[in-house]
Amino acid sequence: MNDSPNKHAVIVGLFIFIGLSFLLAGILIVGNLRETFNRKMEIVSFFDDVNGLQPGNNVWFSGLKIGTVKSLDFFGKSQVEVSLNIQSKAQKYIRKNAKVKISNDGLIGNKILVIYGGTEEFPGVGVGDTLTVEKTFSSEDMVNTFQENNKNLLAITANVKTITSKLAGGEGTIGKLLKDSSLYQSISIASKSLEGASLKANELMGSLAAYGSGLNKKGTLANELTTDTILFKSLKASVLTLHQITDTASAFISTLKLAGSNPKTALGVLLYNEEAGTQLKETMKNAKSSSIKLDDDLEAVQHNFLLRNFFRKKAKYVKEPRNQVREALK
Amino acid sequence: MQIFKPHVINKEESVISITGLYKSFDDLDVLKGIDFNLYKAENVAVLGKSGSGKSVLIKIIVGLLKPDRGEVVVLGKHVNQLNRKELDDLRLHIGFSFQNSALYDSMNVLQNLTFPLTMNRKNLTKSEANDAAEEILDSVGLKDKLNQMPSDLSGGQRKRIGIARTLILKPQIMLYDEPTSGLDPVTSTEIIELINEVQQKYNTSSIIITHDLTCAKNTSNRIAMLLDGRFLKIGKFDEVFDTDDEQVKGFFNYNFIQ
Amino acid sequence: MMNKKVRKYVFSKVLDEYFSGNHKAYRFIALFFKELFKRPFHLREVINQCFEVGLKSLALISLTGFIVGIVFTKQSRPSLEEFGATSWLPSLIGIAIIKALGPLVTALICAGKVGSSIGAELGSMRVTEQIDAMEVSAINPFKYLVVTRVVATTITIPVLALYCSFVALYGSYLNVHAEETSSLISFYQSAFKTINFLDIAISVVKTIVYGFTIGIVGCYKGFNATQGTRGVGKAANQAVVLAMFLIFIEEVIIVQIANWIRYF
Repeated sequence: MNDSPNKHAVIVGLFIFIGLSFLLAGILIVGNLRETFNRKMEIVSFFDDVNGLQPGNNVWFSGLKIGTVKSLDFFGKSQVEVSLNIQSKAQKYIRKNAKVKISNDGLIGNKILVIYGGTEEFPGVGVGDTLTVEKTFSSEDMVNTFQENNKNLLAITANVKTITSKLAGGEGTIGKLLKDSSLYQSISIASKSLEGASLKANELMGSLAAYGSGLNKKGTLANELTTDTILFKSLKASVLTLHQITDTASAFISTLKLAGSNPKTALGVLLYNEEAGTQLKETMKNAKSSSIKLDDDLEAVQHNFLLRNFFRKKAKYVKEPRNQVREALK
Repeated sequence: MQIFKPHVINKEESVISITGLYKSFDDLDVLKGIDFNLYKAENVAVLGKSGSGKSVLIKIIVGLLKPDRGEVVVLGKHVNQLNRKELDDLRLHIGFSFQNSALYDSMNVLQNLTFPLTMNRKNLTKSEANDAAEEILDSVGLKDKLNQMPSDLSGGQRKRIGIARTLILKPQIMLYDEPTSGLDPVTSTEIIELINEVQQKYNTSSIIITHDLTCAKNTSNRIAMLLDGRFLKIGKFDEVFDTDDEQVKGFFNYNFIQ
Repeated sequence: MMNKKVRKYVFSKVLDEYFSGNHKAYRFIALFFKELFKRPFHLREVINQCFEVGLKSLALISLTGFIVGIVFTKQSRPSLEEFGATSWLPSLIGIAIIKALGPLVTALICAGKVGSSIGAELGSMRVTEQIDAMEVSAINPFKYLVVTRVVATTITIPVLALYCSFVALYGSYLNVHAEETSSLISFYQSAFKTINFLDIAISVVKTIVYGFTIGIVGCYKGFNATQGTRGVGKAANQAVVLAMFLIFIEEVIIVQIANWIRYF
């Protein structure tokens, strides 16, 4: 009892079929056409390495999706030309000096192309403009660096580990320092006094140097000195005293040194012992008086007729304080 | 068996009148110009070979199929010009007994009988419908099968339930499609008796589609020979039987041999 | 006189039949919507069919949903374990099941079970003339058989799909619980964390469309069955095949439209 298909039914059926096909195709395509409705412009960029970027990957600008990668082609010897489709509305915000780099959308996401930078002085990009590329680390590079860092970190931590274990065990100077509180205190005191002592020693040495320079003046002085026997005697005496002084100073310094290496003994002796202080003062006094004496002696020498001529010449030379310094430095 | 036809047919009162009816399927012309009248309270048996379009004829009468050409007037209404509502109203007056009974096999006997009733008479209560179903079931002699499923019934029982289902709407016209096909002679006789009983009890006019000569002879006031898309002979059984027409003779001979 | 007519095909026999089939299907659907809002509504029959469709598919849907949940979780676990992201498993499965698997699995199961049963039932009613019998009893078989069934599937399949999603999530939970001993509440919370109202609305719309498709295809194929008992089997088979085919096409279209809605 099947009615045969009549012409009308066939035609209507055909139109229904065509209509449905268009509807289906339309629904499936229109979703993608939405992109097409946005006005597009193309810009290019040249990469040495695109890290697996593919056509269709997103282009981001200021974290906003503004387009897609249109095509990838070889360019020149080994470069890759990347064409980007950018929404026209983004054009004025992307400056000509903006840069591009390849990045990841999340840690394991797709590759994206990021446009960034650009300054106000430059105009917006135009169609076909080329954006420069800044070499960025690929994730592989990053991983390699991480690896290197890890190795270093491992070595460092191993060292730190041994150090801390030694410290904890009280080994070594620092270990002792950490372990022995009395030691720390004495060191602290010693270093303070040493500071004072060294200051003083410095002063002392300065005076000594002055003396030394005075004494050491060119061979002539010594010769002339030797010719005057009286003077020589007194000079000899003063040099002897000076010698003693330097001896004392040297002993003092060695004592100071001792105090440095063995703080427990040296320090108290040097600065907190009244006796030592007075001794030092005495020494200084001696040095001072001896120098006065020496001064007097030298005065006498100057007036001696044998040396008068020399001293006159010398005085002339010495008038210039600079020369005096120069001589002293010799 | 006693042939029992007491009716006086009033030739003035036609319930179905068909003129110039054509129907074709694809390349096959089935009905090629049928002219026919069914009168009030008359039983007409339509005889014909299988595939000669007997069933098509009564399906056109009831509006299940649309004719290519021709007029079909049933109870004064042009079947092809009715809308759905009017056609449904007309169908309430026509009972159609299907060849394979067409019982709703998802329903039991009672539901099968009450279904057309409750669907068409909305104000009928459930007990009223059940009473009517039981009454009609009683008249076909199957009151004990009330709660059985159609699949549990024999062919003859199914036929009778099918007839009962059409009778429940108290139709003026009964259309029987092969009422005795596939039944043994005893059951066939029961069905034939039922058809005659229905005719008397409800005063219905009937068209009985059959290729069973016994059935045609015993149920009909007239018989019509449908051969090659046309009614070759319409008349009393004996008149048609005694014809000299070779095609009609061939049909009768074939059936008797069978 | 009428003689043998020589048929002229517009294209060819096959194409003509295909296109007139389209026309017939279109008229069938149009008739459905025309009859849908006409009295009588046969509410009792709609409810009967809802039970028929829903209750009889419940066991099958439960089992399938449960297994889908477990299997999908088991299969997804290794990939997420690679990133150490097994804690994302519930939300991944929530998305997959509520947005895609639940509706689709339900639709396919129902296309197989409900679609074929409607196709076979109406097909057998057609070839045994039960539909004609209804017609001549002044009962509109389209309204009584087709409209009620399509309405029933359109109502029931969304409910079944939601149920299927929950069962699938429960199956998934059992797997997650076995591996991570998380509680049911925390599992459901993280499963629904990434699901918003729109997702669920789209899923429901989707299943309504699937339900309608299964019902209307089953009815169309069954209602137009021919060629006797062989036609019944053919109707049932075609109902399933066509329904599944249409479901996949609809899935694509709905997902596409949903994405427009989501991003506009």
